[in-house]
Amino acid sequence: MKNTIKNIAALFLIFVFSGSIANAQGWTVPNSAKKKQNPYEATSKNISSGKKIYNLHCKSCHGDPTMANMIPLAPVAPTDLGSQNFLVQSDGEIYYKVNKGQGAMPTFEKTISDEDKWMVITFLRSFDKNKKMKQQVAEVKNPEVTDVKFELNVNEADKTMLAKLSGVTKKGKRVGLQGIEMSFLVKRSFGYLDVSGEDPYTNESGDVQIQFPKDLPGDREGQVNMLVKVTDDAFYGKLEEKRVVTLGVPTDPVNPLDERAMWGTRANAPIWIIVTFVGGVLAIWSVIFLVLFQMIKLPKLAKNKD
Amino acid sequence: MKEETSNNSRRKFLKSFGISVGAAGVVSSFSLIGAAKAAAKKPAEMVNLLTQDGQLVQVDKNQLRPTVNEPLDELQKRGREGIPGKSFVMVIDLSKCRNARKCMSACQNHHQLRADQHHINVLQMQDAEHTAPYFMPKPCQHCDNPPCTKVCPVDATFKRQDGIVLIDNERCIGCRFCIAACPYSARIFQWTEPKDSEKYKDLTYNIEANVPQKKGTVSKCLFSADRLREDKLPSCVSACPNGVYYFGDRNEDAVTNGTTGETVRFSKLIEENAGYTLMEELGTKPRVYYLPPKNRAFEFNGDLLNEENLH
Ligand code: SF4
Ligand code: SF4
Repeated sequence: MKNTIKNIAALFLIFVFSGSIANAQGWTVPNSAKKKQNPYEATSKNISSGKKIYNLHCKSCHGDPTMANMIPLAPVAPTDLGSQNFLVQSDGEIYYKVNKGQGAMPTFEKTISDEDKWMVITFLRSFDKNKKMKQQVAEVKNPEVTDVKFELNVNEADKTMLAKLSGVTKKGKRVGLQGIEMSFLVKRSFGYLDVSGEDPYTNESGDVQIQFPKDLPGDREGQVNMLVKVTDDAFYGKLEEKRVVTLGVPTDPVNPLDERAMWGTRANAPIWIIVTFVGGVLAIWSVIFLVLFQMIKLPKLAKNKD
Repeated sequence: MKEETSNNSRRKFLKSFGISVGAAGVVSSFSLIGAAKAAAKKPAEMVNLLTQDGQLVQVDKNQLRPTVNEPLDELQKRGREGIPGKSFVMVIDLSKCRNARKCMSACQNHHQLRADQHHINVLQMQDAEHTAPYFMPKPCQHCDNPPCTKVCPVDATFKRQDGIVLIDNERCIGCRFCIAACPYSARIFQWTEPKDSEKYKDLTYNIEANVPQKKGTVSKCLFSADRLREDKLPSCVSACPNGVYYFGDRNEDAVTNGTTGETVRFSKLIEENAGYTLMEELGTKPRVYYLPPKNRAFEFNGDLLNEENLH
């Protein structure tokens, strides 16, 4: 009887154990999830917004796609998400894994939106050698240009900024470049706040206009440090401009030490505390002196009585 | 007080000087070339010193400097004043915390704490019998109306202009009134010799990191005030792998996530996620804001909790 129980227990253990080994090696995705299709097209717009989200949420562990510069985590290092081994998976499979997470890979089910997840997958697909051809969708094509630059116009009255992106064609004509994403970033203490808004892509004439937030604090004069750049270096190399603009709300920082408060140190204790304390000390000492004085007078009084 | 500190550094200087003459000093911070040049000009008394790589060298006695990088007075002064124009705040997103405890170990590394001492502690919370449990990291709240500074009899703990509440271990007499006054149990007392006290004993005391820690004094979270001076995020904020922490300047209305590096509007973040502060009914006005543990990224898993870490 005892033996049977032992055997059953052993069998059970083996079963559990083998199950966990299988789990550690592979990552099974239900068939239904594999079939899910990416609803978004592989336009350069989607790819570059996917890259942005990738850099924010995935890069810190997985590194840059195809560069194999992931962080070396043990026991399982993160995969290079641009490798062909990874990209043989269907969109649905990748989507499922991003959602669920496993081990050190967190779940992103609730932390990033569905649209953003598909954008990341679109971005990763752009490294796929097999699917690349088929995924190219007809897009506006900019002519080949040199000397690409942008001009920045700031309208302080209605707090807008206009960037005009242009390049010189082979014929020597300067033309606007269309459909390129620009980033408008405001310098803050520990990073850049993106104020580009929903659709910061250049139009047919190479213009993009953004509305600066009306309530964003600047310094005492309302000045803020802006960094404007072409979001994706892959198009025309690094293009950026730093500028101080007076678009913020003038803000006077309050120094909490300016007011006297209970929590302040001796230097800014409330007046009433100082008065009560000093008054109390004075009162007590005067009573003591009064008593002493009276006591000195006692012998005199006694003499007088005699 | 000042008198005492300058005496202190003079004592330190004499000490290191004595060691140097004994040819056992560490020479790396002295300029050997400068010393050689000076010696060429006017031969003065030379001392033998042993370099870190075991070479015996001669150095002009006049060139000797104590190995103190920044004088204590300067560190104390700027530590008391704080960074002008700033008003630091932290936002902790409880829906993303899975008890990874990376914040705690980063903090303990930074501030010379043993594994059982916490400036920040991840707690397992359950508000009522039928509510869902969750993990909650709890640093000092850097209250805008701090009860702790009110009770200190020697002006050792104080609030500075950027909102950070610090402790001056050169002044603290270890009365522990502040520990009793703090409603968030944010403060710890150094009952024994601190970890690595031998290693750090020659370090100048930096009030903004509270290192080296001192036996018989109080310590607590400092929002990594020394790192903020270099525009770096606090240790815990940058160590979190799950994007739990945001940190920034309320005057700029922006906070930056330590994991993703994304900067967002502070007011929007709080408004859109129904941010709250701990025990606001006490009127302590905390500077640490919490986003509720709803729509959690991770299942609550009590098994992850290492009981030994909970003190
Ligand atoms: S949390 Fe405690 S230690 Fe920190 S400021 Fe508030 S009362 Fe003081
Ligand atoms: S323990 Fe130190 S910091 Fe706290 S109240 Fe006493 S002297 Fe002040």
